[in-house]
Amino acid sequence: MTGWDDLTGGYQDVGPAPGDVDLDRVWLGVAAQVWRREPGPAERAAARLLRSPGLARALVTTPSLLLGWLMATVVILVAGVGFTLGTGTPWVALLAPAVAAAGIAYAYGPGIDPAWELSQSMAVSDRMVLLVRALAVFGLNAALGLAASAASGAAAAFTFGWLVPMTAVCALALAAATVTRSPNVGVAAGAAGWVITILTGQAAQGRFTAAITDSFLVLPYLAFAACCGAVVLFATRIPRGTS
Amino acid sequence: MNVELTELTRRFGRTQAVVGVTLKAGPGVFGLLGPNGAGKTSLLRMMATVLPPTSGTLRLLGRDPDGYGPRREIRRRLGYLPQNLGYYPGFTVTDFIEYFALLKDMPPGQVPRAVAAAIEQVGLGDKARAKMRTLSGGMLRRAGIAQAIVNEPELLLLDEPTAGLDPEQRVAFRSLLREFGQRATVIVSTHLVEDVAAACSEVTLMDAGRMVFHGTPGELIARGEGHGVGDAPLERGYSAVLAAARS
Repeated sequence: MTGWDDLTGGYQDVGPAPGDVDLDRVWLGVAAQVWRREPGPAERAAARLLRSPGLARALVTTPSLLLGWLMATVVILVAGVGFTLGTGTPWVALLAPAVAAAGIAYAYGPGIDPAWELSQSMAVSDRMVLLVRALAVFGLNAALGLAASAASGAAAAFTFGWLVPMTAVCALALAAATVTRSPNVGVAAGAAGWVITILTGQAAQGRFTAAITDSFLVLPYLAFAACCGAVVLFATRIPRGTS
Repeated sequence: MNVELTELTRRFGRTQAVVGVTLKAGPGVFGLLGPNGAGKTSLLRMMATVLPPTSGTLRLLGRDPDGYGPRREIRRRLGYLPQNLGYYPGFTVTDFIEYFALLKDMPPGQVPRAVAAAIEQVGLGDKARAKMRTLSGGMLRRAGIAQAIVNEPELLLLDEPTAGLDPEQRVAFRSLLREFGQRATVIVSTHLVEDVAAACSEVTLMDAGRMVFHGTPGELIARGEGHGVGDAPLERGYSAVLAAARS
């Protein structure tokens, strides 16, 4: 191997090495062990579950699991629950999809994710990475929602009515994508799961057709559809070539 | 042939970024020259499978990147350095290269050694544990080159790789290019004709999205004899070809 420093004169002369020892190879072995990032138990478990060390690393390095994002999520949830309790209006349920969709789109889209361009050229599909991270986002929000449920009935309704089912749907999408090695199949499974979740909820109340006919639900459906459309447009837009 | 482009075109709305480019490339170092807005980056992004072509055909490493399976196989054997290297500031140099090595689907057991080798090859050994946000522009560029070469790619695409490198580092980098060119197809987009003169066996010159010259650096120099503008023979060839293409 020709090293950069061989050419720029960076190595110091430390005397002759024994003839049968390849110091480059030895050093690389040492450097590989010293510099490597040892995967933690969570990452090792994720690698086995997802059948991909790359996806596992993407999961544990998800920006949404960092402190700044955690704090922002808590602030949004607390403010939403406060609004709901104070006004008696379902703002949390209406705004939650928008917040989650915008968060995911902005955090992992070409505008914000600094390594987006590089990620697009990787063998592990960027859609798989997005699914993994979406699950991380919803899973985290569901956990926070469960914690908030202890203090507020509104939070409980929101958590069990939306966050927990959404986390389950995301997990289903990821599982389908992992098994079939196709993110598109995963997304289709997730969308189907969400529709089934809604219709099942309505059927349990004896209002199976209300999910479609109840005019009160039109606004949330439109908001959700608009958010989905915005996410898809944002995530799939092609940035202009710069040269 | 590792790269086969036939009538490749890319449009952004009404703007034609790349127009009918046809090109074949086997092992070796290929220079992609041209002024700003010539379409070099768009062409490179299409070869990196980041940007789909509007029309034309593209075969990379003997495969059609349209299909999911072939595209994944191409990407396993591809190295790409974008013009604007994005990075996670909190990652160390090792984390950064290791992350992309894993996303390239490298066998996990091979990753630590490959990462260490790539870091040494670009002379960042003393910065292996440093956070990316603490690196200078030239060091960031070298970290970007390291992530591109970590999987020993058969197709290496580098967009302005020498931007930010000092003259000494540029010399070392050209040597690295020549070494890779012996076993892989290396395509380097650059504004610096001296990079092309020192490292490339073939040159493609682009202007307004079109390929206006393809040949050896010697042939480009010959085009400038007597009527080119510039300090170096290759610069005179460059300006003469561009002037002819625009007239």
